[in-house]
Amino acid sequence: MQVAESFDAGNPPFDRLTQQEVEDIRAGADIGYFAPGDVIVAAGKPSGQLHVIIKGVVEVRQDGAMTALLRAGDSFDSRALVHGAAGEDFIAAEETLCHLVPRPAVTRLISRNAGFAAFFYAEVSRKLDALAGARRPDGFESVLRARVRDAQRGDSNVIDGGETIEAAGHRMRRVNANALFVRDGDRTGVVTGMNLSKAVVLRRLPLETPVRDVTHFDVVSIEAGDFLYEAILLMTRHDKRRLAVRREGRYVGFLEDIDILGLVAGNSQLIPGRIDRARGVEDLTVAARDIQAQVLRLHGQGVRIEAIAEITSDLNRRLLARLFELVAPPSVQSGGCLLLMGSEGRGEQTLRTDQDNGLLLATPVPEPDLAAFREAFTRALDDFGFPRCPGGVMVRNPLWSQTLDGFQRQLRGWVVDRSPEAAMNLAIFWDAAAVSGRGELLEQARMTLLTALRGEGALLAHFAQLVDTFAEPQVGLLGSLLASVGMNSDEVDIKRAGIFPLVHGVRTLAIGRGITAQPTALRIAALVEAGALDAALGRELVGALRVFMEFRLRAQLEAARRGTPGPDAAVRLGLLTSADRDILRDALRIVRQFREVIRSHYNLRGH
Amino acid sequence: MSILQAVRRRWLRARLADPAYGFLFDPWPEEEVVSLDLETTGLDIRRDEIVALAAIRLRGNRILLSERFEAVVRPAVMPPPAAIKVHRLRHQDISTGPGMQDLLPDLLRFIGSRPLLGYYIDFDAGMLDRYVRDRLRTSLPNRRIEVSRLYHDRKYGGAPPGTVLDLRFATILRDLGIPNLGLHDAGTDALMAAMMYLQLRDLQRRGVRLRRGPRSGMGEIPTGA
Repeated sequence: MQVAESFDAGNPPFDRLTQQEVEDIRAGADIGYFAPGDVIVAAGKPSGQLHVIIKGVVEVRQDGAMTALLRAGDSFDSRALVHGAAGEDFIAAEETLCHLVPRPAVTRLISRNAGFAAFFYAEVSRKLDALAGARRPDGFESVLRARVRDAQRGDSNVIDGGETIEAAGHRMRRVNANALFVRDGDRTGVVTGMNLSKAVVLRRLPLETPVRDVTHFDVVSIEAGDFLYEAILLMTRHDKRRLAVRREGRYVGFLEDIDILGLVAGNSQLIPGRIDRARGVEDLTVAARDIQAQVLRLHGQGVRIEAIAEITSDLNRRLLARLFELVAPPSVQSGGCLLLMGSEGRGEQTLRTDQDNGLLLATPVPEPDLAAFREAFTRALDDFGFPRCPGGVMVRNPLWSQTLDGFQRQLRGWVVDRSPEAAMNLAIFWDAAAVSGRGELLEQARMTLLTALRGEGALLAHFAQLVDTFAEPQVGLLGSLLASVGMNSDEVDIKRAGIFPLVHGVRTLAIGRGITAQPTALRIAALVEAGALDAALGRELVGALRVFMEFRLRAQLEAARRGTPGPDAAVRLGLLTSADRDILRDALRIVRQFREVIRSHYNLRGH
Repeated sequence: MSILQAVRRRWLRARLADPAYGFLFDPWPEEEVVSLDLETTGLDIRRDEIVALAAIRLRGNRILLSERFEAVVRPAVMPPPAAIKVHRLRHQDISTGPGMQDLLPDLLRFIGSRPLLGYYIDFDAGMLDRYVRDRLRTSLPNRRIEVSRLYHDRKYGGAPPGTVLDLRFATILRDLGIPNLGLHDAGTDALMAAMMYLQLRDLQRRGVRLRRGPRSGMGEIPTGA
């Protein structure tokens, strides 16, 4: 009977159940009605059932403050159900109907279905992993399910067996290949560059030797339509890094192990070469575009967000280092150190970010040289599509490109100054990484700052206060009410609401402990190690940061697809699936919790 | 209970042919009602027959969906094609089911003396009554709760004369923001009526009125959920 239809299995976590499992849940669930104001699940209390909203709105409140709004299709509360105590209050905001799935039915499914179980994990990073795995059909496994023809590059180049090995070598170079097919009467073989080298170097064969003499005719081949994993098996079995590819009885080219890697990881291994070979800014502009395309590919293939950030940050550093070599006059190059700050400095960049960079000089350089460099460097980054830093943290700004002496004075000045701007500048500098030139200049500047900060506990409190720079996100009732009548948008700025308070809070603690690592995850690890941060909270923070980076990257990619730059980290709550909203809610909750930790640590007034 | 109702109850009790069904006249469990919906071969209470039925108990604010009573019924005479279009039960679906007289004892025990709730419940209860009279020589004494009446009170109670009434099932659903789960299936209709009842009863208890006039769907406007 169609009573079953009342249970929508399209929403997480139920979308991961088999038909039979859904039927079991349907058969066992009652329906509850809640009047506005009813406390459905109270913080700290267990719950005998999982609530799945049919209609209505449920407010989630933590210590009285609204943290989220749940609607039809959303479920709560996994904590109360599985971990014995709800983290928040769940209160009906409207006339609300919920499915009541009894606890035993849920625990049965948790033990049986891993995807379903993931929803009930306490830690957001585990949840994210499980959801990411469930969401992406095109991960590594599906790459292995691709066909040989999807990975294979280049054409089939055939040489006659009677030609000399010298001709074969030249041919390889001309067609930019490492192997050729050799036709010798009825048989076809393969000769590789390695075969030629060995023939000449090790066996001292003359260059006139017919290529058939060094060709091997026991060709290991695979059909173009075969699966890639079959190719990998074949390579392993025969200990070959290269297979001949057949189509309709003819050899059509080679498949190399590197081609498979390329399909898995995009073409990241090719971009550094392109950057190194760049002869001018135009060549680098092409490489910058490649990096962006690369990020898109990696994301599509389900590569973890940290790996994307690492690869992207590495490529961007190479890009900027090469740009520095190309446009900096000799005086600047020999005596300067190019700095990257912000997310680039921390190695947490996802797509492109603002031009957060600076220059330290060992000694003064001629003013025209410096001016020319500042101008050329900034314009090149404009061409690459890097938006200018709104705060002016760029080599273009004399404040951020000066001699070490001058900058050290500046740092001390910022320490003495009690303004939020000065605190922000110090925070920005703390993330600096040297990408090119004389790295010792950065180390000296950093030591200066560490020394100046000694005994400046009050300054750290000032610093810490910045975590409250941006108001709490309006994921609450008011925000969505306004959004639905078109008076306000339901956008959450991931950068302001999530990344900034988290990164800055960690940064503040790191400065307090003199921890100089840049990546936030490493700082967290060091803080936990030093006993300055609770290990569980540390894990949650790393997970939350991953969530924000993932959402931010998605927003950036979406903006890039539409061709509208603009605010790059805005997430429209109304457009999220309820699984994503759940994850985001968890991550924002962790940030709230962390802000509390920071506030009480530095005795800041609460809001 | 008014004196008139009490007298009627006594009279019905006196006519009860089978003492085993005395429970129909017991006091009913506190806060419990049963949502009832029937699918029939037509709208004539005297001649048409039941082809499917669903009864769902409610206790307090909880719809006990997991204990529902549902059945496809084999009628003595097969339904005309017109009725099939409405409830989509085909001959082969219902020809294998039990007959109504076989089902009746279990159904009555499930319902007990609880009030019967439904949308135009007089039709469903009246239909059921015919089978009850055949068997027990008396009528169902159960109180009836009409959801369209509750809706009318919340929506049109005290409305100026000449106000156009709209008491259609789909309208009530929309007005209360309850999702339409698909019409014309006994189980679904009984469930939706139960949902309507809980919400309307709550509005009644809190003295909240439904807004008249265009676009009064209170569940949909503010949050767009």
